[in-house]
Amino acid sequence: MIHAHNLQKQFGSVRAVDNVSFSAPDGAVTGLLGPNGAGKTTSLRMIYGLMRPGGGTVEIDGIDMASRSLEAQARIGVLPDISGLYPRLTAREHIRYFGNLQGINGPDLESRIGRWIEILGLHDVIDRRVAGFSHGERTKVALARALVHNPQNILLDEPTNGLDVMSTRAVRELIRHLRAEGRCVVFSSHVMQEVSALCDRIVVMGHGRVVAEGTAEELLIQTGMTSLEDAFVQLVGVPVEAA
Amino acid sequence: MNKILTVARKEWIDGFRDRRALYTLLIGSLFGPLMIGFMFSQIASQQKGAQEIKVPVVGREHAPILVNWLTQQSGVEIVDGPADPEGAVRERKVDFVLVIDKEFAGKFRDSRPAPVQVVSDVTSQSTRSKVSRLNSLLNNFSFETGSMRLMARGVSPIVVSALKVEQIEVATSQQRAAMIFNFIPMFLVLALFTAGMPIASDSTAGERERGSLEPLLIIPIPRWQLVAGKWLAASGAALTGMLLTLAVTLIVLSRLALEELGIRNQIGAAQIVLILAAVAPMALVSPALQMFVSCFAKSFKEAQSYLGLLIILPTIPSIVTIFYPLTNRPWMHPIPVLGQYAMVTEILGGKVPPPLSLIAATVVAFIATVILLSLATKLFSSEKIIFGR
Repeated sequence: MIHAHNLQKQFGSVRAVDNVSFSAPDGAVTGLLGPNGAGKTTSLRMIYGLMRPGGGTVEIDGIDMASRSLEAQARIGVLPDISGLYPRLTAREHIRYFGNLQGINGPDLESRIGRWIEILGLHDVIDRRVAGFSHGERTKVALARALVHNPQNILLDEPTNGLDVMSTRAVRELIRHLRAEGRCVVFSSHVMQEVSALCDRIVVMGHGRVVAEGTAEELLIQTGMTSLEDAFVQLVGVPVEAA
Repeated sequence: MNKILTVARKEWIDGFRDRRALYTLLIGSLFGPLMIGFMFSQIASQQKGAQEIKVPVVGREHAPILVNWLTQQSGVEIVDGPADPEGAVRERKVDFVLVIDKEFAGKFRDSRPAPVQVVSDVTSQSTRSKVSRLNSLLNNFSFETGSMRLMARGVSPIVVSALKVEQIEVATSQQRAAMIFNFIPMFLVLALFTAGMPIASDSTAGERERGSLEPLLIIPIPRWQLVAGKWLAASGAALTGMLLTLAVTLIVLSRLALEELGIRNQIGAAQIVLILAAVAPMALVSPALQMFVSCFAKSFKEAQSYLGLLIILPTIPSIVTIFYPLTNRPWMHPIPVLGQYAMVTEILGGKVPPPLSLIAATVVAFIATVILLSLATKLFSSEKIIFGR
């Protein structure tokens, strides 16, 4: 369960995030939808605690991110905007490193790694150095290491950006799987189709503000449009990219 | 503590899989000792060369008596001199030339100073000792002949010696050795800097460049533990490089015939332990300094160019002492870099630095390390550093 209340962030004279509030419940996928520069990444960075909000609060399962950041961060798994890997380490070493840092060791960790190999289909590449990996393989490794500690709350910043069809399918399946486990999933995207296909709730962002929130049907009713794409254009004032 | 070791182990493995880092460590560690070996063998060959000299003589027919006398001296070989003695010396075709004037025979017979010329080039470092050997031979000949002339006239040759000059050298052979050993502390500190550099920059600036810093910082562990782990790995690499340099230096020194140079090599187990105690504190500071500096760099390459400048630091004391010979004073001991030079020079000179110096140097290094690492931790928490790419 994630609550963001009146988040604000200013860079110089630019208001990147202006009074953003939304809630993401457990057992549901919440989509942050908006064009590039709408403030999605900045909002997520404040939610996972690497960026200090200019104003407002973040609560993860009721724990305040500002005052109890380590406790709150222990309850989230994050795939950031740019998720760099270490070219000289193998996929397994990446997952093991993050697992160890999350305090998971020994046979417990190894069985978790085995599970992630299954879920993401990493069998062929798990013991190879990531230097020569495709973008899809890299994203899978980044996902596995971000989620190795089975966090209740999951934040994914444009997880399918630049992925091929097969990898995109794998990521979507993973998101559905996480929802079925009762986890709280928040993911950002500028791709309309993806959000409408996956999300239970959509938070539409534009110019640093939340311009609308609700299920797909609610958004249609709210805007009086018949297609989500039209609704989106109506809300943000910019046409959204087609997938 | 476990987390710190996890980070250190990862950076260590990652660092040693990097070929560039490995080569830097090897070259940085081997360069110094090989340099020392080369310098010593150069000095040795020059000393040998001074005792055996080949004297090119022009106009030997004018002074058979001098030429015969020279040939009888041990290690002297007479050869025919070049047609243009000054030109030949200037062009370094020969080291020096002895030119005997055609008036030699006549003046010598009349017991008047017989003219000879020694043509040499004072700027040529390698020939200096040979020229001074020739000059002292000529002085000997002059003195012997003069003495005989006086005795022939019934005068004791002693009356021409107004002074009796005796040279007393106060520097022990150990101290003379230490003068040549002055390069050893520089190479040890240099090895620390070069060996720690790849991990120090890759684990900070490299992490920023790859975009792997953000996911790492989301993991709920205190930032200082991440910094400490990275520092531990860099410090371990620096220490490895330093130990390698020390080991190879000792091997090189044991292979050199130092006794022939009038130097006693007395580096025993006690000296090795003292050297380690004196230099090891630097292995705390140098990676911390390198990490702090690297935090400002956006890429591995940028960091390397900053650290390249930083590496000038350990060479400064060596360069300064060439122009301003500094006397070794205890106040220098706790100052990082300078202290390592002062203490290692003392140890190699056969002395033991005061225990208080070793303790003070360690304490100062520890404090400097903690300050630098906490500054680096601050930088690791700054949004500009985390997201500024």
